[in-house]
Amino acid sequence: MTAGVSPMPPTVRTRGRRARWLFPGVRHAVLLAWSAFVLFPIFWMVSTSFKESWEWVAWPPHWLPWEPTLYSYRQIFTFSEMGRDLARGATDQVFAIWGAVADSLVVCAVSSLVSLLLGTFLAYSVSRFGVGGKNFRYAILTIRMVPPIVIAIPILIYYAIMIPHTTTLLFGARLTLIDTYLGLGLLYTATTLPFVIWMMLSFIDEVPYTLEHAARLMGAGRLTTIRRVVLPLVASGMVVTFLFIFILNWSEFLLALTLTHPKVTTLPVLLNKFQSAVEGRLYGPQAAIGTVITVPVVVLGILIQKHLVKGFSFGMIRK
Amino acid sequence: MSRILLRDLVKTFGGLTAVAGVNLEVRDGEFVVFVGPSGCGKTTTLNMISGLETPTGGEVVIGDRVVNDVEPGERDLGMVFQDLALFPHMTVFENIAFGLRVKRVAADEIRRRVQEAAATMRIAPLLDKKPAQCSGGEAQRVALARTIVTKPSVFLMDEPLSSLDAKLRVEMRTELKRLHGTLRATFVYVTHDQAEAMTMADRIVVMDRGLVQQVGPPLTVYGDPANRFVAGFFGVPAMNFIDGALAVHGNTLRFDAAGGALDLGRREPAGAGAVTLGIRPEHVRLLPDGEGWPAAVSLIEPMGDETLVFLDYGGRTSIVAKVDAEDKVAVGDQRRFGFRPDKLVFFDAATGERVLR
Repeated sequence: MTAGVSPMPPTVRTRGRRARWLFPGVRHAVLLAWSAFVLFPIFWMVSTSFKESWEWVAWPPHWLPWEPTLYSYRQIFTFSEMGRDLARGATDQVFAIWGAVADSLVVCAVSSLVSLLLGTFLAYSVSRFGVGGKNFRYAILTIRMVPPIVIAIPILIYYAIMIPHTTTLLFGARLTLIDTYLGLGLLYTATTLPFVIWMMLSFIDEVPYTLEHAARLMGAGRLTTIRRVVLPLVASGMVVTFLFIFILNWSEFLLALTLTHPKVTTLPVLLNKFQSAVEGRLYGPQAAIGTVITVPVVVLGILIQKHLVKGFSFGMIRK
Repeated sequence: MSRILLRDLVKTFGGLTAVAGVNLEVRDGEFVVFVGPSGCGKTTTLNMISGLETPTGGEVVIGDRVVNDVEPGERDLGMVFQDLALFPHMTVFENIAFGLRVKRVAADEIRRRVQEAAATMRIAPLLDKKPAQCSGGEAQRVALARTIVTKPSVFLMDEPLSSLDAKLRVEMRTELKRLHGTLRATFVYVTHDQAEAMTMADRIVVMDRGLVQQVGPPLTVYGDPANRFVAGFFGVPAMNFIDGALAVHGNTLRFDAAGGALDLGRREPAGAGAVTLGIRPEHVRLLPDGEGWPAAVSLIEPMGDETLVFLDYGGRTSIVAKVDAEDKVAVGDQRRFGFRPDKLVFFDAATGERVLR
């Protein structure tokens, strides 16, 4: 979210007095401009979420709401009989995002956790036993070069036709993956697994072999060694990895749009529904939901800041 | 019973032979040091004893059982690693307790034994610290405490002192020897440092290119080397080598070299031919005029108690003599030198094996 501009190297030393304030000045100006550019959409989103409906598209634009209101939030947070029904041309309807919040939380949390655990153990086997061969660690990432839309339709066919029919034929029970937690969760686990393996590999590679040898010689089995020695040493890396894939899943739109709804509706899908409202776009509630979606990720990031710093500065294990 | 028996032990990695058939018996309670240059197979041999490597061929026997297929943790071993391998996320106490916890020893028993081990290694005040907060010497003691706490009958050590500075290394050497005396356990120690081998070992196993070159007490290995490799590996400065030939003259055997000849006074004419004479610097003496071989002093290195004198005698390399510091020698002097006759060793010029024992 923040600007990725690294500070300029201090190469300029002997250019006289002007250079002494000019270069730090320019540096700050550039950084400020970049930050403003990057943060503006977020500012606009938060600002709009507090505006009255007539202000949403006012011209000239109202940078800040003239009459701040919580109306949009009231709309999206109200419990209602309407459930997940969306506005059909009226700005005073209630939308109730609670269902979508729950759906998103369940699917993202569970699939991120499963992916993290699976991926960590896979990364361990790649790191220690060379599973998958020499180039596996790079090959695994190329899977992610396939655009999601390419797999969305085939998977829709599998989920909607192939798998239900096959399971009915083989086991006499129909396995429903379309529009279920299981179906979306499986896919989220699978699509984030390459990232987990790739990220965890770099952490596990740094745990010295001899630590495991020492544990083995003291009588610890492989699992005990992993649990008591390896995992504690890569805990920071696991936190960072979890956050990374949780955000990926949390903001995932295309697969959720294709394979779920109406029974399971994640927040990004719900957000999209507002665009097709008959009577103009409902920018207010949309901005409010956008803000609500962003907040948990930011809060999570702040809570685990310590781990983030440690985890992102790979090479965290000193003797 | 904790003797170790290695029978025809072989280890290959792909096409590379690390250990090429090692036979050795380490007696119960013995302090054996494996020494050799890097890549000689000493660490691989140690890892096969520990079980971290599986032998390609041969057997490892600990006590009375063949342990080839026994898990490392079930071989009744303790091991200290080159990088010590202390668990960075655990306190010193937990590091030492790890082996006991894995074996599900009762909590108060663990506390008692950890404190006992800590007392033995004099690290009791460190128990609540993390390894990163310990100095090099302290970390070394923690690693040792972690090993002795499970009371193994065999201790394996893979260059454990290599990360310490010179002074500390000498201290820890003494400490390890004391520990061996207290525990009366079998120690197998791997190092490339000949001084460590000499000072600590009951017996030294010299390895090169995957094979045992010689096994024996330190002074035997030093004074009576089995081949030219062993002779050259031990001693600072290294043994002098003089290329020449053995020939029979009349009744006696004579060594002829570029700088002169030596009458060996031996009768048996065995092994005439090209040989290399080996003589240690402390056995080279400066002689009065008229005796020995002539040489020019090319370099002098005073060591304090002794002085190293480099003598150019006409051979390919200089002869180094260790003489008393009181001796007046100057660069450029023309001096004559000779050898202690009982300390001469001869090696076959082609094979490097000892001849004329």
